[in-house]
Amino acid sequence: MSVARHSQLSPLQRLLQGTPGLWIVLAVAAGASYGFVQSPRSLPVRLLLIFSLLLIYFMPQKGWIKLLYGGGMLLIVLPYLGLFNPFLMELGFQIAAFATLAIGLNIVVGFAGLLDLGYVAFFAVGAYLWAFFGSQQLWHTDEAPGTFTIFATFPFPAWWFWIFLGVGVVGAAFTGVLLGFPVLRLRGDYLAIVTLGFGEVIRVMANNLDKPINLTNGPQGITPIQRPPIPSFFTSPEFLEQLGQLAGRPVGLNDLYGFFFYFMAVAILVLAIFLALRLDNSKLGRAWTAIREDDVAAVAMGVPLRRTKLAAFAIGASFSGAMGVLYAANRTFVSPETFSLTVSISILVMVILGGLGSIAGVVLGAAIVTMLNIDILQTLSLQLSSLRQGSGTIPLLGIPWASLPTQLDPARYQRLFFGLLLIVMMIFRPEGIIPSQRRRLELHEEPAQEPLAAQLEGELEPDHKLES
Amino acid sequence: MRPLLELRNVTKCFGGLVAVNNVDLQIEPGRIASVIGPNGAGKTTIFNTITGIYRPDAGTIRFDGQNIAGKRPDQITAAGMCRTFQNIRLFHNMTVLENVLVGAHTQTPSTLWGAMLRTRSFQRAEEKARQEAIRLLRYVGLPAGLGDQLAKNLPYGQQRRIEIARALAANPKLILLDEPTAGMNPQETEAAIRLFRRLRDELGVTVVLIEHDMKVVMGISEYVTVIDYGQKIAEGTTAEVRKNQRVIEAYLGRSAPSEQGPVGEGS
Amino acid sequence: MRLHRPNLLLEVLRPLGQLLVFILGASAAISAITVLTAFLIRGTRTDMDLLQITLILLPQVLIDGIVLGFMYATIALGYTMVYGVLEFINFAHGEFFMFGAFAGVEFLVWMQGQGWLPDGQGWLAYLLLAGAVGVGMLISGSISVSTERIAYRPLRGAPRLVPLISAIGVSFLLQDVMRFYQSTANGAFYRTFPTFGGFSERITLFALPLDDREITIAIQMTSIVIIVVGSVMLVGLNYLVNATRLGRAIRSVAQDRNTAYLMGVDVNRIIAVTFLIGGALGGAAGVLWSFRFTRADPYMGFFPGLKAFTAAVLGGIGSIVGAMLGGMVLGLLESFAAAYLTIFTRGAFGAEYKDIFAFAILILILIFRPSGLLGGKTTQKA
Ligand SMILES: Nc1ncnc2c1ncn2[C@@H]1O[C@H](COP(=O)(O)OP(=O)(O)OP(=O)(O)O)[C@@H](O)[C@H]1O
Ligand SMILES: [Mg+2]
Repeated sequence: MSVARHSQLSPLQRLLQGTPGLWIVLAVAAGASYGFVQSPRSLPVRLLLIFSLLLIYFMPQKGWIKLLYGGGMLLIVLPYLGLFNPFLMELGFQIAAFATLAIGLNIVVGFAGLLDLGYVAFFAVGAYLWAFFGSQQLWHTDEAPGTFTIFATFPFPAWWFWIFLGVGVVGAAFTGVLLGFPVLRLRGDYLAIVTLGFGEVIRVMANNLDKPINLTNGPQGITPIQRPPIPSFFTSPEFLEQLGQLAGRPVGLNDLYGFFFYFMAVAILVLAIFLALRLDNSKLGRAWTAIREDDVAAVAMGVPLRRTKLAAFAIGASFSGAMGVLYAANRTFVSPETFSLTVSISILVMVILGGLGSIAGVVLGAAIVTMLNIDILQTLSLQLSSLRQGSGTIPLLGIPWASLPTQLDPARYQRLFFGLLLIVMMIFRPEGIIPSQRRRLELHEEPAQEPLAAQLEGELEPDHKLES
Repeated sequence: MRPLLELRNVTKCFGGLVAVNNVDLQIEPGRIASVIGPNGAGKTTIFNTITGIYRPDAGTIRFDGQNIAGKRPDQITAAGMCRTFQNIRLFHNMTVLENVLVGAHTQTPSTLWGAMLRTRSFQRAEEKARQEAIRLLRYVGLPAGLGDQLAKNLPYGQQRRIEIARALAANPKLILLDEPTAGMNPQETEAAIRLFRRLRDELGVTVVLIEHDMKVVMGISEYVTVIDYGQKIAEGTTAEVRKNQRVIEAYLGRSAPSEQGPVGEGS
Repeated sequence: MRLHRPNLLLEVLRPLGQLLVFILGASAAISAITVLTAFLIRGTRTDMDLLQITLILLPQVLIDGIVLGFMYATIALGYTMVYGVLEFINFAHGEFFMFGAFAGVEFLVWMQGQGWLPDGQGWLAYLLLAGAVGVGMLISGSISVSTERIAYRPLRGAPRLVPLISAIGVSFLLQDVMRFYQSTANGAFYRTFPTFGGFSERITLFALPLDDREITIAIQMTSIVIIVVGSVMLVGLNYLVNATRLGRAIRSVAQDRNTAYLMGVDVNRIIAVTFLIGGALGGAAGVLWSFRFTRADPYMGFFPGLKAFTAAVLGGIGSIVGAMLGGMVLGLLESFAAAYLTIFTRGAFGAEYKDIFAFAILILILIFRPSGLLGGKTTQKA
């Protein structure tokens, strides 16, 4: 390894070099897994697991070794651990699902530079597509919500889920084009507000399209939504029996679905990463960067602005549409609440936290934010409420825990954390945790604020930039 | 000979300001032509109107047999016309090579599916574009190995050359250069003039340039059009224009437009 | 050189007159369209006399619309001023509005606790209300200035989207900060506006006979107060911007920041003052809003904020008169949509759609006339 390369490594990475590095990473991963088997419900252990994945990404090793390690963790170790606590699979599903959404949004915001604040709308389109056709809602379009009883025939068999995965992609892409067509000529900040409005429009429509025709069942949402059938081999009593022995507890259909959705989400995520990387390195990707940098110059070089932006919108939306279908099947329930502005913003936080334009960063951002959302804050809330039940006092302050108001529930303060994250990132590290090469240069090398006098001089007299 | 580019009665206003007033302009194929005029005369606005960045308020613009007035800039570029900008507009945070590849956008036949599936034809197209870009960079006189640098890290003179390479990548019949030698020292200017000649002689590209530097204008233009207050006040060969009374007045009548002084004293 | 001395009376009266004319015109136009629609589609409903219902509702809908319009206009001024000076959409402005609302309510609740809130009408009630508006303005103005200092100023000169994202962050943060404060201090995250001063009394203006019925046209004291306070704000701001030295400095910075700087204007100070004024107006609107709808909650800023932004764009962003007119148009449209949409569509589309109505307008305006109704044609710079 050359000296130049050597010096670019962070201290942590230098530790993970060569054969010792391989063993260190292996030890961390094994330790985390062992810890998980010992105490399957511990939050620190879950964090350690995620951390070991991060180490695998960062270790300066050959590509195939990293792939081997990463694949082994994601496809074998994590599912195995999932036997001990199904929540791990749920967590993995959510992280992979949101990482896919974040990658889709990253194409729009990170690559093409179009700030879309209503991205969740495309997620909703996918979800509602399968919710409508994968449930019995079709029988009840002329009845008001809550006035009908659900009976057991579905208009479409469950395996149509696979077809709708494709329909979701196309439907969301189509919605993206539909929205993009009129609004994409707007300037960046107007576009942000209009897309935010569009997100709200979709949500309000989901809330109110229970009349005149009951398409969405209003605020009550649609349920039950079918899940795709699992091959009978897996559902056979013998197989479940074997799994149960491994896990040391009875394993049922619900656990199987946990694994199924985890694997599905990871598969879609991998596909999304793959496509995003390829697109970034293509004519279209260059065109996106070009319009982000200088749209006038780009169009003068023959890049069709409208079509290129529409492509970003449609492709970004399509990832979201596929995930929407999967999400509806996973929850078996869809309601407008899932598609609030907070979700759009939390996906934006993932992208910005990880690093605009950087695929690895965006996945990491998704992992952090999702953990925060459904795991860390929830765990904190639970612990707080159990402390509140007890008779202890807050250390240092001496106030009894019980006197803390129940309103002080960390899980309800997502917006506080997101808001803080956004501000802090923008001020101190706008390029994100794992910046894309380009962004780092873009945001940091240039002096953010040239002295005014110098700026003016530069305009009048370009000579000072001359090479001697 | 039929002109390659023909403007008829082209007018462009900004609110009350008539930046381009009823201008006729004809560029024969294979020419090196110049557009000159004092600061703020409307030269850049003419370029912007020709290339579709502004839509003309009146008049027709014919290029290579088709009417391009009102078309989008990317369509006009695809029709075979490309340009550089007065205040260099490279994609600063893209590499030099990528800049040129964006210029080749209309010339690269790759599709979305091709990019996603990495088809053979996609890879071939990418590779061809890459080779062509490297060739162009060398052609405009950039030292080898600069391709992977970020465009903004290069010195001014080289940025001008990259902009020309980027425009050439669109395989234009006509190239519009907006003050391409502004801010260059004499040696660089000499080299630039040689480059413009070669574009025409070797590549067969028709060249139109806006210039303030009379040495450049008188040195290479075969035809000069003079603009003042948005109007064409004279045109012809360099010798004709130099003698034109209105031109001399236009330059002397205002406070000296640039350090080069009035036209009459040039070269 | 000495510029002509602006005539105070004229500066106050002219915008007031313009506003009045505009309100009358817009009200007449929208009423005429509504009544005409009702007349044309009256055959679709056999269960009620559509025309009569429309006419009965009309006066109240108009008053509601105008009141709403004044509030939107006051909020919209904050967007428009900041945009005029910085070309920046202050996404958190809706939260400044929310903070103002809470500040006003807290002030009155505290007064109530002291037993100083009168039940009946009288000068004291007005004074206290004015005090609440003042407190709201003070708090919102300070929050606005601090936000600019902490979260926006360091980002000046960064790519456009960077400060916008920061502003979104501020917006989210402020919502939950208020929620946190209210939850810990009061146990509930919203606050009710104290009832006092007999503001809910209605004053009957006149009665109109219609067929067999009689419509009484009455106006609530609340509405009158909002209209008066709103007018004072609008006129005051107009005077400030157009007839004072400070206003001239603000306008010069809005025109061209660099030139203003070279002319010796303290640009940072002027930007801070702009945020102060915009925030204070937002705060005043917040107090009026909670006064009208008797409640303040941490998320109340979102929709009014977006609608006021729409109003600002509608009138031509950066234009103060435009923001006032845009607010008025939006208030009237929304009020009419909320009242008549259900009746006209036989319940197929309810008042729930009134919120997205504003967005539809925003999108249409931005697409077809991005410079707004009053703005001139703009050309993209190459
Ligand atoms: N986008 C615009 N909006 C309004 N006015 C403009 C715009 N672009 C140019 N102008 C005005 O049009 C006139 C012509 O400008 P233009 O840039 O075409 O001049 P020019 O001949 O290129 O001058 P220079 O030699 O300084 O480059 C100037 O008065 C300029 O201020
Ligand atoms: Mg020019």
